Amino acid sequence: MTRSVSDPVLEVRGLSTSFFTDDGEVKAVRDVSFDLAAGETLGIVGESGCGKSVTALSILGLVARPGRVVAGEILFKGRDLLSIGREELRQIRGRDIAMIFQDPLSSLNPVHRIGAQIEEAMRAHDKIAPREVRPRGLDLLRQVHVPDSARRVRDYPHQFSGGMRQRVMIAMGLSNRPEILIADEPTTALDVTVQAQILQLLRDLNRDLGTSIILITHNLGVVAGLCKRVIVMYAGEIVEEGSTEQIFDSPQHPYTWSLLRSLPRVDADRHERLRSIEGLPPDLIAPPQGCKFNPRCPFRLERCFSEDPELEPVGDGHIAACWVTMKRAYAEMGAGSLVDTGPGAASGVRPPIAPVGPDLSEPEGQGLAPEAHDRD
Amino acid sequence: MTVTSALPARPPEGTRPEPPGEPLLRAVDVVKHFNVGVGAVCRAVDGVSFEIRAGETVGLVGESGCGKSTLARVLTQLTPPTSGRVIFDGVELTGLRGESLRQQRKHLQMIFQDPFASLDPRMTIGDIIAEPLTNFKVMHGKAKDARVQELLRVVGLNPYFNNRYPHEFSGGQRQRIGIARALALNPKLIVCDEPVSALDVSIQAQIINLLEDLQAEFHLTYLFIAHDLSVVRHISQRVLVMYLGKIVEIAPSDDLYARQYHPYTKALLSAVPVPDPRVESQRRLVELSGEIPSPLHPPSGCRFHTRCPIAQVPGVCSEDEPALEEKAAGRFAACHLSERVGTDLG
Repeated sequence: MTRSVSDPVLEVRGLSTSFFTDDGEVKAVRDVSFDLAAGETLGIVGESGCGKSVTALSILGLVARPGRVVAGEILFKGRDLLSIGREELRQIRGRDIAMIFQDPLSSLNPVHRIGAQIEEAMRAHDKIAPREVRPRGLDLLRQVHVPDSARRVRDYPHQFSGGMRQRVMIAMGLSNRPEILIADEPTTALDVTVQAQILQLLRDLNRDLGTSIILITHNLGVVAGLCKRVIVMYAGEIVEEGSTEQIFDSPQHPYTWSLLRSLPRVDADRHERLRSIEGLPPDLIAPPQGCKFNPRCPFRLERCFSEDPELEPVGDGHIAACWVTMKRAYAEMGAGSLVDTGPGAASGVRPPIAPVGPDLSEPEGQGLAPEAHDRD
Repeated sequence: MTVTSALPARPPEGTRPEPPGEPLLRAVDVVKHFNVGVGAVCRAVDGVSFEIRAGETVGLVGESGCGKSTLARVLTQLTPPTSGRVIFDGVELTGLRGESLRQQRKHLQMIFQDPFASLDPRMTIGDIIAEPLTNFKVMHGKAKDARVQELLRVVGLNPYFNNRYPHEFSGGQRQRIGIARALALNPKLIVCDEPVSALDVSIQAQIINLLEDLQAEFHLTYLFIAHDLSVVRHISQRVLVMYLGKIVEIAPSDDLYARQYHPYTKALLSAVPVPDPRVESQRRLVELSGEIPSPLHPPSGCRFHTRCPIAQVPGVCSEDEPALEEKAAGRFAACHLSERVGTDLG
């Protein structure tokens, strides 16, 4: 192999995925680029519809019609997954790159025993020698801490609790010793004590087996506990990327900053009023011109309505797509003492008089009465 | 808007410091069992007593299957309890039937988790919000229309949207519609069952702030049920922790994070993710062994003993059921070993 060890195991370059609906083209993912290093834990965070799950499905070639990848490259160890044949991709999927989903019950076949399903995942690829398949299945269940695993391999999915099912899914995902595990909201359907156990399991697997993990979630607390690096997505685009410390300690995109301040924290000393983000995420068929966050941003400038900002370095290994960035918002707009978080509240910039597109007013207007903005 | 319920006058000074308000709702040993097939009984709620004072927000947390939603349905008399009493504003709801119960419901409203399932898709939002006013014949014609528009404005929606249908609104907006409907009859108590858990992070904060504003404006009392301890602790003055049909701990939310008197509360708190990598790197997870037992066959003694990291088994924990007792001022817990929770579990 000519590739060096330090090369990223996965490189996503200019990925765009759209859904062609009757109402128009929904640009679910737009020009997304990132690297995943071997053994890394990368978090992709954002709210529903931001494109985080579609990004993961695009990597695995699982985007269903009417959606398709319209541009970009997905390089797994230098090979472009978008240009190889279906059979070749099928071999990589599950063997080299595995995925676990939010709802483990709908991903397990109800009429087959747990053990058989884990074995099937191995038999589909020839990475594991046939006579090793059965003992390895049992071993995997032990590795993901399913108690009494020798007996439970013969159980059916309905006999497992939600947390145990997710462990089975992780066992299946790991069965072929993949290099990358993509976990899409793996703990969202679980209780908080079970969630903590599953996250601990993922941490251990990353440390002991060196599996690279892409964790897709809306929960910033979960990311803070598992990931070394974080990508923040909004309206189909990456708006910020950095180390976990950079993203949580000095977020530079107003969306990241606002999101962190809108969360109640269980360890907070005082019950401060939450700083909510006004308005709604934009319609992806007709997103606002310029920066997609401009209808909700307290720090927006005039140019944010016309020019779309590119991702620019804002620190060592830290990038953000914003004309203002929080450094300037703190220095010039008093972000540190901002009480009113309504759109344009800190900069005083209102939308242009003549809306650039007919839908520009929607995300912001959306039926919210003026008082709703003033109340905060 | 007129506020029908003034806060009750405070009682004359006694020897003990008085709580901030009169109890608006009292649950006394409430039990709800479901018969599930031959001789099997699901003990969903199994002897729960607590009070909610007027103007207070009480949070109720617990994991799925602990009985919190069943308790909400019993308190609002959507389902009758197997035994026990629910006293609301001096009236015993559990003895009421028919019209007299219906009249009490005016003062006792609910907000539900799923803003998609709780609104009739064939009704305009104006009709949805007006439905309680129509049912109780409190307003007609123009007055009713004006009230609907006022309610829409109060919850931060455009009053001229009253002719639109639920599908035209996002999740957060539908939750605002549900709140407007709950407010229509000027209730005293609103039971909020997971009102923000279906919403996106940035929308959650909007709804939490709205609920807080409405409480201040209309002197509302809330029972706020959620599985997310961060949200519950933020909005509530007191928190009730439920496990397998029982309340295991009651604490003021300001004190809850610093000290716990029940190991289950400690385990719950230790598992809540915090959006701060430094806090996360120092997390000391209190691991619970096994899984939540079935409410069909709750364990003997303390129901938590099968998973408790400090239980004495066999011993007092597997033999005697602990009562909910005051362990310190304002702190109640049902645990034989509550003194050890703070020390042995770090």
